[in-house]
Amino acid sequence: MIKKVLVANRGEIALRVLRACDELGIDTVAVYSDADTAAPHVVAAGQAVRLGPAPPAESYLSADRIIEAARDTGADAVHPGYGFLAENAAFASACQEAGLIFVGPPPQAIAAMGSKISARRVMQRAGVPVVPGETPADQSDAALEAAARRAGFPLLVKASAGGGGKGMRIVRGAAGLAAALSGARHEARAAFGDDTLYVERLVTRPRHVEVQVLADAHGAVVHLFERDCSTQRRHQKVIEESPSPALAPALRARMGEAAVAAARAVGYRNAGTVEFLIEGEGDSARFYFLEMNTRLQVEHPVTEAVTGVDLVQAQLRVAAGEALPWAQEDLCQRGHAIECRVYAEDPSAGYLPQAGRVLCFRPPVRPGVRVDAGVVEGSDVPVHYDPMIAKVIAHAETRAGAIDRMRAALSEFRILGLPTNIAFLIAVIDSPAFRAGTVDTAYLDEDGASLAAPLSVAPAALAAAVAHEDAVPPGTALGREGAALDPWTSLAAWRG
Amino acid sequence: MAGTRRFIVRQGENATAVEVLADGRIRVGEQGDVFAVTAVGAGEYLVSRAGRTWRVAVAGPPEARWVGCDGASARVDVQPEGRARAPRVRALHGALSAPMPGTIIDVAVVVGQRVRAGDVLLTLEAMKMELPIRAPKDGVVSVVRCAPGELVQPGLPLIEIA
Repeated sequence: MIKKVLVANRGEIALRVLRACDELGIDTVAVYSDADTAAPHVVAAGQAVRLGPAPPAESYLSADRIIEAARDTGADAVHPGYGFLAENAAFASACQEAGLIFVGPPPQAIAAMGSKISARRVMQRAGVPVVPGETPADQSDAALEAAARRAGFPLLVKASAGGGGKGMRIVRGAAGLAAALSGARHEARAAFGDDTLYVERLVTRPRHVEVQVLADAHGAVVHLFERDCSTQRRHQKVIEESPSPALAPALRARMGEAAVAAARAVGYRNAGTVEFLIEGEGDSARFYFLEMNTRLQVEHPVTEAVTGVDLVQAQLRVAAGEALPWAQEDLCQRGHAIECRVYAEDPSAGYLPQAGRVLCFRPPVRPGVRVDAGVVEGSDVPVHYDPMIAKVIAHAETRAGAIDRMRAALSEFRILGLPTNIAFLIAVIDSPAFRAGTVDTAYLDEDGASLAAPLSVAPAALAAAVAHEDAVPPGTALGREGAALDPWTSLAAWRG
Repeated sequence: MAGTRRFIVRQGENATAVEVLADGRIRVGEQGDVFAVTAVGAGEYLVSRAGRTWRVAVAGPPEARWVGCDGASARVDVQPEGRARAPRVRALHGALSAPMPGTIIDVAVVVGQRVRAGDVLLTLEAMKMELPIRAPKDGVVSVVRCAPGELVQPGLPLIEIA
């Protein structure tokens, strides 16, 4: 087994991995930038090593510094989390060359799937359906325009190296192509250090459904069913769930088989996700391979909830050379799980990301609810990194039950000090389309655009804002309307 | 407890008069509803009226006070009436500033250039996203105070349109 893991990440995912290590009796090393000296992941680890200044290129993306930190601390494995270096084949190779176990797939699998052009070729050969499109070898504007005409409008211009919507543009017709190419190139270069572009026909109003896979070093590959991530805003996932409300059982089975075939085709090991677009409804629906994410996903907890599997522990075991403890027929989906991503952003100001100090952070506590957070009360949310500060996962026997549970959890989640999208998330799960399970990937950007109301609170909250002005000690009753208060409150008032 | 005290609570563009009554209850709005407020923990309040109770969390100084209730939150400015601060000065007339700290990655215009409302003037990169800064009106670029690669802070004028 692995003895000491260096977690090459920050925020909630670093904490998630550190906790799994603790449970398995594995020592841990955190790394941090100057913006994160007192961050929760630094506090939670057995040891912590400074990487450098706040900008990612000088800290969390600094492969050399991270490997040096692993050597200096005697770590024998590196877990990359998601984002940063998680899908960087050169980093995975460098870990191996330094004698470190990379908790993820082999570098060859990352490379094969990291480039969309090679991923498509591999998938086509493995018999997995793909959307029409290409990455021209000649990356000139003229060659990309010719490729765009072959794929047909509307189309997507994407960073060949990327994911998560960075460096991606929708182009409705030839007129908008030149601007999209230059914008996507710039973002691709900034985010991934590689500005190779890919053009692809846009399947209009698809659902986004992905399949979790897990493979060991002994040839076993299983899938852990699907996650429906159709609730997206500008290609960024906002809400994910499992099972998908859109899949007929036969389609689910075929997608599971396709995902396993995809993983086998690239000699995959460890946890990965095969993303598909679904076009159409019910039994006539078709699915297309979108991309494979060669890492743990943000939304992995919904799979953990419905399958009862700990994916991070499984990653560590598989990385250590152990065989998968389950066969495909041992796995099933039980109940329904939903995840909402809580972002520090202002939905009413164009979802502008927000940095600042978290003055109050009180996550919901109730049965069936899990909160994976990257901040605590008093944390600073730096401008340098992703604005996602927490994930709320609700699990219940039915989809309706999971929605009700999520609604209750979000309503009692208290985050003060910077704007968040919590009110927006509540508006989304309350929307008839979400309740009906008919949300597609265009919903939030089109029909759901009106759900982003300005931040505002009820008159009762203004009364409390003024009461706080008096800075009264806890338990002091400021007004008498005893009948309206429950007995515990009155008791607190007496004690005060 | 002392007599009635009045406050102005600003929430974005809206200002609400809030009055602490002699008995400690709080009226929100002129002739508005009266609430009983009980502190139940650090920054936690139970606010009740006519058999309904809200649980409200409060944090921060008066001029940047955060309140949260039922999943909604907002920043408000609480001031004693008569001592109300002048509204914060927005950027200079015709000037555009960064909405948040970030790096200028592109300056699309030069001084003297005629622009139309909605034209992209600058592109700012912040928190891994590109944010276009657009002209709010038609006009001529009179001053450019930033260059690509520059780190900028919110509120400082970056570009002016005459």
